[in-house]
Amino acid sequence: MSLLARSIALALASLLALPLAGPPPVIAADDFKIALVVPLSGRWARQGQLKKMGAEMAIEEINSQGGIKALGGAKIVLREADAGDSVEKAVSAAQRILTREKISAGIGSWLSSFTLGVTEVAERLQVPWLSLSYADSITERGFKYTFQTSPVSSAQAEQALELVVELAKRNNQPIRKAAVVGDNTAATVFFFKPLREKLLQAKGIELVVDEVWTPPLADATSIVQKLRSTQPDLVFYGATNFPDSIQVLQKVKEFGVKTHIQGVGAWLVTPEYVKTVGKELLDNIQTVVAAHPLKGQEELVKKFVQRTGEPFMTQDPLVTYAHVWLIKEAAEQAKSADPKAIRDALAKIDLSTGPAASTLYPGRIRFDERGRRIGAVPLIVQWQNGEPFTVVPANLATRPVVWHK
Amino acid sequence: MVASELTQYVVTGLLVGGVYALMSIGLALIFGVMRVVNFAQGDFMMLGMYLTYYYAVVLGIDPLLGALVTIPPFFVLGLLLHRVFLARVTGGGDPNREMDAQLILTLGMSLIITNATTMILSPMPRAIRTTYATQAFAVGPLLLNQARTYAFFMALLLAAAVYVFLTRTDLGKALRAAADDPEAASYQAINVRAMHGVAFGVGIALVAAAGGLLATYYPIEPNVAVNFIVLMFVAVVLGGLGSIPGAFVGGLAIGLVQSLTLLILPLQLQNVGVFVAFLLVLYVRPQGLFGRRARTV
Repeated sequence: MSLLARSIALALASLLALPLAGPPPVIAADDFKIALVVPLSGRWARQGQLKKMGAEMAIEEINSQGGIKALGGAKIVLREADAGDSVEKAVSAAQRILTREKISAGIGSWLSSFTLGVTEVAERLQVPWLSLSYADSITERGFKYTFQTSPVSSAQAEQALELVVELAKRNNQPIRKAAVVGDNTAATVFFFKPLREKLLQAKGIELVVDEVWTPPLADATSIVQKLRSTQPDLVFYGATNFPDSIQVLQKVKEFGVKTHIQGVGAWLVTPEYVKTVGKELLDNIQTVVAAHPLKGQEELVKKFVQRTGEPFMTQDPLVTYAHVWLIKEAAEQAKSADPKAIRDALAKIDLSTGPAASTLYPGRIRFDERGRRIGAVPLIVQWQNGEPFTVVPANLATRPVVWHK
Repeated sequence: MVASELTQYVVTGLLVGGVYALMSIGLALIFGVMRVVNFAQGDFMMLGMYLTYYYAVVLGIDPLLGALVTIPPFFVLGLLLHRVFLARVTGGGDPNREMDAQLILTLGMSLIITNATTMILSPMPRAIRTTYATQAFAVGPLLLNQARTYAFFMALLLAAAVYVFLTRTDLGKALRAAADDPEAASYQAINVRAMHGVAFGVGIALVAAAGGLLATYYPIEPNVAVNFIVLMFVAVVLGGLGSIPGAFVGGLAIGLVQSLTLLILPLQLQNVGVFVAFLLVLYVRPQGLFGRRARTV
């Protein structure tokens, strides 16, 4: 190989081996910078990609409407960093992006385990951080710079159980036996824990299958075999790794298991599920999420679909969209791009109008002293004919709920 | 535990292990002949899955056949990669320095392939929807997933074909000679460098075919290799480094142990069983199950 060819090969190799975030583009000094630390490679890269789409859409809207008015029309600029597929990589990405230049606020990192690590960096560097992650422990460490907009896992478990038990009763199919099946990522662990320890028992429901694994799952036969032999009325399902989830669902079909599946998180309502297992298998499967398009958000969804080519909008882009708008509101109130001022504005914010508030149910954004959104309530989303629709709460549902026959 | 349930665990383990076995053979062949630890092996499996996917989506080829059709292009790719990159770090020179260079090279190839695939094809998972992925053969009380059963038998056939190739053909014998003693082989007019190229080509073609079979029931994404690469290495070391029959048995054993572990341990500790078995085998037979043939194929 000639020297030139070798140099070209080396340059190409270095280029491709680099993390997905490149060097920062040249920007104006007074731009307002938001960090987005999400998985852009590895097994959760798809979720990171969806979050990025939501952030970019909000930024485009804000900038086209004149930017942050209190800062003289400052434009918002997104700085993304790849959290990869491990907590260590996520922490290192946050460290890198928050120390390289002045960041006013950050968003991330989808998986609760990643968020736990990344928020430690943000706390140390005093940058306010918005997260959609569910794990209770994210806002149980006395941090001042972490803001959790989703209902926490344990509350979701309680609320989801209430909702599902009520739905089952209304359909004359009371729940007597339940199963918990899922991986051991943080949000799932926090969701399952109260179910096992008290909630199911309090409702008189027997826990007949309790299967938890570390991703990746080698084979789902043993799990589904147990479901078949115990025949629970309801399965709480938390398989965040897509191939694991597909294996379980395929096996459920193969073994002819008829049970109601109640997912734990928005990973269960991404478009690739339809392409992989088909809409028939998904029909009536429902999941509890922190956000999903509600009645009245049709225009937003239409815009997102046109812009991205995605078939529908789900929690990940939607919440990131809301987070960017929320940071913008905080900057307007703080009249500053200083991260400490933004943090203080977020801690005091009480927002019930605008894109952020209308996206985060029940339409009002306030945080308690821990950084948890006050009054955050989960929604239930259900697959119907190849598309996931909000079915609970009924007043903002985009489709009525269908109970599994 | 009733006998049928135990049998179901055994059968499931063997079906899972069949594809592990095919994945591992390619790795063992490359190590056996070239003494190269190929960290990019899982990435070639991922590329094989994508090629099978495009065969199915664009050309309408059934993935079971598509898996076989991945073999020729990957064999050629292997020859090319060997000629351009691997030949520079194998076959002569200081063995320690060569080993360092090989590790960096194959690890670098792995990073480049994964990242390039993420950039070009996006991280969105894809899947080939087959009817047999969600159907089972009922044998008495046992349920055998159709996709896994087909994949198992195809893996068995391909492994048998490799065995026949290595033991009954002149090229196969030359490969084994190059693995046994490269110097003596070159005295017999065997082009050791060319044999290395063939071994790399066959090695990655086999893992690509295994990927194709896997794609009949497993989603495809750029990062899929990480779910399997450690198990491939465990299978190869368990069977005896460089031994083809060893890698095959090692792959089957891993599937079986993963499944049977669930009889005594919770699902969360499924792979603990694999590594405990691995350590036990290495304690009793440090050279691996087929260790005597560690330097042959």
